[in-house]
Amino acid sequence: MNRREFLASSLAATAPSLLASEKKIQPTADTLIVLWMAGGMAQTETFDPKRYTPFAAGTPSADVLSTFRPIDTAVDPIKISEGLENVAKVMDRGTLIRSYQAGDLGFILHSRHQYHWHTGYAPPQTVAMPHIGAVISKTLGPRNPDMPAFIDIGQDMEIGAESAAVKAFHTSGFLGAEHGPFMIVNPADAAASVRPLKELGNSRFQSRRELWRQLTKNSELAQADGFQKESILRSIESAHRLLDSPSARAFDLSLEPRESYEKYNTGRFGLGCLLARRLTEAGARFIEVTTEYVPFRNWDSHESGHERAAAMKKQIDLPIAQLVRDLEERGLLDRTLIVLASEFGRDMVTEGKPGNEVKDQVDVPEVMTEMKHYGMHRHFTEAGAVLMFGGGARKGLLYGKTAEERPCKTIENPVSIENLHATIYHAMGIPADTAYITEKRPVYVTRDGLGKPIPELMS
Amino acid sequence: MKLAPVVILITSIVYAQQPVDFQQQVHPVLAAKCFACHGGDKRSGGLSLSSYQYILEGGRSGAVLIPGTSSDSLLIRRTNGTLKPVMPPVGPPLTAAEISILEAWINQGARPVHDGPAAKPRWVPELKLHKPDQTAEQILRSYFSRNKLENPQVVSDRIFARRVYLDLWGFLPSPEQLREFTTDRGSDKRQRLVRQLLSHSENYAGHWMTFWNDLLRNEDAFGIYGGDRQSISNWLEGVLKENLPYDEFLKKLLNPTSKEDPNGFIVGVNWRGDSSAAQMPWIQAAQNSAQVFMGINLKCNSCHDSFISRWTLKDAYGLAAFFSPESKLELVRCDAATGNFTGPGFLYPELNKPTGDSLPDRHAAVAEMFTTKENGRTPRTIVNRIWAQLMGRGIVETVDDMDNEPWSPELLDRLSSDFVDSGYDLKKLIETIMLLPTYQLPSQDGSQASGDYVFRGPEIRRMTAEQFIDSLSAITGEWPIIVPRTAQPARHVRESRRNSSPLSRALGRPNRDQVITSRSSEATTLQMLELVNGQDLYQLIYRGSQKLMGQDQPAPAPLFDSGVVNRGSKPVQIDLDISGATRLYLVVADFGSYAPELVKTAWKTQDFGTIEQGATGTYEIDLKNSKVTRFQATAIIDRISDRSDITPQVRFFVFREKPNPQRLVSVLPQTPVPFPQGPFTKDQLITRIFQQALGRDATDAEKKLVGDHTKNPEALADFLWAISMTPEFQLII
Repeated sequence: MNRREFLASSLAATAPSLLASEKKIQPTADTLIVLWMAGGMAQTETFDPKRYTPFAAGTPSADVLSTFRPIDTAVDPIKISEGLENVAKVMDRGTLIRSYQAGDLGFILHSRHQYHWHTGYAPPQTVAMPHIGAVISKTLGPRNPDMPAFIDIGQDMEIGAESAAVKAFHTSGFLGAEHGPFMIVNPADAAASVRPLKELGNSRFQSRRELWRQLTKNSELAQADGFQKESILRSIESAHRLLDSPSARAFDLSLEPRESYEKYNTGRFGLGCLLARRLTEAGARFIEVTTEYVPFRNWDSHESGHERAAAMKKQIDLPIAQLVRDLEERGLLDRTLIVLASEFGRDMVTEGKPGNEVKDQVDVPEVMTEMKHYGMHRHFTEAGAVLMFGGGARKGLLYGKTAEERPCKTIENPVSIENLHATIYHAMGIPADTAYITEKRPVYVTRDGLGKPIPELMS
Repeated sequence: MKLAPVVILITSIVYAQQPVDFQQQVHPVLAAKCFACHGGDKRSGGLSLSSYQYILEGGRSGAVLIPGTSSDSLLIRRTNGTLKPVMPPVGPPLTAAEISILEAWINQGARPVHDGPAAKPRWVPELKLHKPDQTAEQILRSYFSRNKLENPQVVSDRIFARRVYLDLWGFLPSPEQLREFTTDRGSDKRQRLVRQLLSHSENYAGHWMTFWNDLLRNEDAFGIYGGDRQSISNWLEGVLKENLPYDEFLKKLLNPTSKEDPNGFIVGVNWRGDSSAAQMPWIQAAQNSAQVFMGINLKCNSCHDSFISRWTLKDAYGLAAFFSPESKLELVRCDAATGNFTGPGFLYPELNKPTGDSLPDRHAAVAEMFTTKENGRTPRTIVNRIWAQLMGRGIVETVDDMDNEPWSPELLDRLSSDFVDSGYDLKKLIETIMLLPTYQLPSQDGSQASGDYVFRGPEIRRMTAEQFIDSLSAITGEWPIIVPRTAQPARHVRESRRNSSPLSRALGRPNRDQVITSRSSEATTLQMLELVNGQDLYQLIYRGSQKLMGQDQPAPAPLFDSGVVNRGSKPVQIDLDISGATRLYLVVADFGSYAPELVKTAWKTQDFGTIEQGATGTYEIDLKNSKVTRFQATAIIDRISDRSDITPQVRFFVFREKPNPQRLVSVLPQTPVPFPQGPFTKDQLITRIFQQALGRDATDAEKKLVGDHTKNPEALADFLWAISMTPEFQLII
C-alpha cells in the first residue's frame, strides 16, 4: 500500500484497512509455530491408532485399520502409534484433537485443501486470501523488528504441476507484500538467506553497499523527496540491517551445540524444528515448518504407506518432542503455541468422507498381495489429528473421538477449520471476527467471521 | 474545487432560517424512523442511512438526496408520500416536523455539520459517451486554468526518452538510442519517437504482455489448478503485434469460436472439485469480464445483493447466464438455492437484445453487448486503464470502479470517443495519451489523497518486475532463456514470457489466480532481501557482467538431446556419428523429478557397456585410442524409479566438448534486443552503464567512485547491482 492509498483507504477503503472487532482478547501466546504434515498424515498410523493388523498376503484391505501397534503416552488413557515414542513422552504438555474435519471440496487436491487450511477459505476466491501467517503478521506485527514476522521453513515452491497452486496460498494476498512469507527452503542453508551470498563474501557485500550508498547520495534524486524513493532506500537499508543484526545468528544452525543439533537432525523437517526453536528465542512471531509437500512424497503415500509412515515418523518424532522440551526448558513454551496439523487424514478404503465419497485416485486392491498395498493410501476428510502444545493449550487433554471400526467416523466434538483457526487466533489475541477491508468489503480472518474458539482446548 | 452555489428554497418556516445540524437534528430522525431497515448491518435496497457517508452513497435506486433540492430528493418524496412506495413501509410515518428538518437540511446543502461544506451531488455516470467539442488538449488546458495550475515546463529529453522506452518497450534505451534522440534537432522528435517505438511490434508486445497477463489472469504455467484453462500467451502476443482492434480483441476473448482463439479468459481458474456457487466458471466469467472490461465489481453481488453498489445477485447471474452451459440459472444466495431463475440479461438492460439459446449464440450476443458503440462504458474503462498505466493514476480511481467520478469527465469522454472513432485502435490510444502535453509534465510523488484529487501531472512510478529485469538484460545483453521440454533449442525471451521466480515475485509480480489490475509498487524489506541476497538477481547480473567484459564462455551445444523423458517413456535410441571426437560426455540432467535422489538411469551402449547414472551426472568417455566412429546406445529410466513418489523426469545429452552444467541445451542466438558488439574499454563500460541505467552521463565524482569496478566481472557486477538498486534507476520519474 502506498501513502496515497493509505490516505484514501479511510474514504474509499480500497486498501486493506482493519475493521476491528469489538472484542478484546488477552493473548495466551506471542508466537505460533505450525508443524505442517504436508500431503495428508494418516491419523490411524499416528495419533489415532485403531486395531492393529499385521501384513499378510491375502488379507482384505478393508480389514486393515492401523498398520502399527498403539503405545502408551504420558497421559494415561491416550494411546498413539508406535514410532512416536518421544512425542508420547511429552503428551502431558499438550492437547490432542482427533476430530478435525477437513473441508469437503468435491475432489481431493492436496494443494487446494492446503490452501483451505492455511487461509480458511476454499479456492477459487475473488480476492487473494492471506495465509494465516500473513494475517498474524498484519494484525500483530513482528515481535522483534529485525525478524520477519512470517517465516516459512521447508517448502520448495517449484514442485511441478502444483507449483502455481502452492504459490497461491504462500502469500499475504490482499494484505500487501510486507506481510508475505520469508521462505527458507532448506533449514540447513537458512544462514545463507540472512548472510551475504557465498559468491559475494563479506567484504564485497560491505563494499557493494557502500558503493550503493555513495551512488544514492550522488544521484540527482538525492535532494528530491518522495514516498517512492524513501521506501526504496528504507527497505534496502532494513534488509541490510537484518543481515547484520544479531537476530541473523538465530538462522545459523552451525552455531547450535553439536549435541543439541543431533537431537533434531532427522532430516530437513527435524532441522526445521531446530530452526523454529532458535527463531522463537530470537523473537519470531509466526513460523511454519513443513515436512514439505511434493506430490506423492512424504505423507502423500499412494503406495507402501506403512513403510512411508514409519519413515515419516522417524523424521518427526524426536524433533517435535525436543522442540517442546527445549521451549519448556527456556521458559518459552507457555507463550509459544505449537500446532501440528495436516490437510486431511488417510484411510485404506474411503476417499473423501463416508457418505460423501469422491472420485478414487488410488487403486486399492480388495485383497493385499504385496507389501506395497499395506498402508493408508486414500484421502480421508472425515477425521484427522491435530496436536497442540504450549501457548495456553490445555495439558494432557484428549478432544474429539472417532469410531473404532471403519469407516472410523468422527463421533464426538467435530472440529472445523473455522473453529480451529478461531481457537488459534484467540490464543494469539485475535478475535475470530477481525476483518480487513478490501474492495470496500470486509474479509474476515475466519470465514464470514463465524469461527468460534473451542474453550475446552484452552486452559 | 469550487462548490456549486446552493439554492436554498424556503420550504419550511420552522427550520429554513436556522442552520440544521446533521448530528443533532437529522441523524435522530433517521435513527428513529429508518434504521430498522437502513441502519447497522441492514441495507435494504442497498441503502444505509446510518452515517453521513452512507447517505451520500445512496442505494440501488440512486442518490437519496440532491443537495439544495429537497423536492426532487428521494429521501423527501418517499417520506412525504409523493413517490411510491412510501417510507417507512410499516410503523409510524415521519411527522411533518421531522420531514421539514430533512427538507431544510437538504436545502441548506446537506452539510455534514452546519458550518461544513455543502454535499456534492452523487456522480452518476452515463452509459453513452458524450463527445465534447473541445479536444483533449483543450480540455486539459481549461482544467489547468480552472484549477489555477500554472502550465509547468515539460521534462527534459532524457527523462522523456526513459519514460517512452519503458512505457512502450519495457526496457531502457541503449546509449546509441538515447543519443540519437537527444541530438535530434527536429521539433517533432518526441512525436516521432513515440510513433517509431509503437511501430516496433515485437518490443511493444513484449512489454504490454505484462499488462494484459495481469488483467486476463494469464500464466503459461497454471498447472493442475487451472482446470481446463489454457494459456493464451501465444494468442495474446500475436494480437498485440498485429494491434487487433480492441472490440475485436474482446470478442475473441468473450466468444472464442475456433481453436486459435483464446480459450482461457472465460474459463476462469477453477482448481479441482466443487466451487462455491459464487465461483462457478460462468460466474467467474461474469465477474472477470465486468471488472476488466467495464470497471464493474460483481464480486459481492455474486453471492448476495451488494451492500456497496447498485448491483444485485440477479445482475451477476444474468451476465453469467451468457457463459453457462444452461441458459437459465438458478440464483444461489450465499450458497443457498433461492428457487428463482434468470436467463441471460446484460448489466445495462438497454443493451439487451433477443438472443438464441445455444451457448455460441449467447457468447456472440454478450460479446456484442460489451463492444457495441452504444456501450460507452467499455471504451471508458480501457481508456482509463491505459491512462493509469502511463500516468500512474486513473482519470477515475479506482480503475476497477468506473462508477466513481472522473476528475475530468470531459477528458475521459473525449479520449474514449476518439478511441471509438479510431476503430478501437489501442496503439493509437496510447499514442494519443503520450503525445498530450500532460504526459511530458514533471512527475508528482503520488501522495495526494483521493478525496479532493487534482491532476497536476503523471505520478512517479516504480519499474515493474518485468521492466526491471528486461532493463538489466538490455544493459548487459544477457537475456533469460526458456527451455522447451521437447528436444528443441531454447530461446531468449522477455521476462513477460517466463514463469514467476523468487526475483520477479519479490519485485511485485503477482499470482494470477485473480484478476490483477494494479500492482503494488511498495518496496518492502522482504523484497529487498531478495534483491540484496537472492541468487536469481546475482546470477543475472554476474553473467551480464561477464558478457559485457567479453568473458562469457559460450556453452557447447549438445550432439544429442533427448528432450524430457518421463516415467513410462519409451527407451531413447541414440545413434550418432562421433568420428574425430576425442572425448564423449554422457550427461543426465534432472527436469523436475519428485525425488531426484531416487532416480536411476542407464545408458546401454554398443561399445562401452552399460553406464548407470542417477537423475544428474556426467560420464566421460575417452576416445583417444578408440576406433569407434558411431555412438550407439539406448538411454533408459530404470524401472525401479517408475514409482509415483519418484516420478522421474530427466533429459539425456551427449556432448563432444566438456559441457556447461548451467546450460546444457542449445540456445538460439537471437536475443529480444540486438546488442552492440563488445567487449568495451573500461571507460566505455562506465559511460554506457550510466547512460543506459540512468539516462545520463556519470559525474566526475561518480566516475571516480566506480573507476575500480571494471577490473573484473565480479567488480562490475557489484557496480551494476549498486546502480540498479538506486531509486534513480528503479523509479520512472
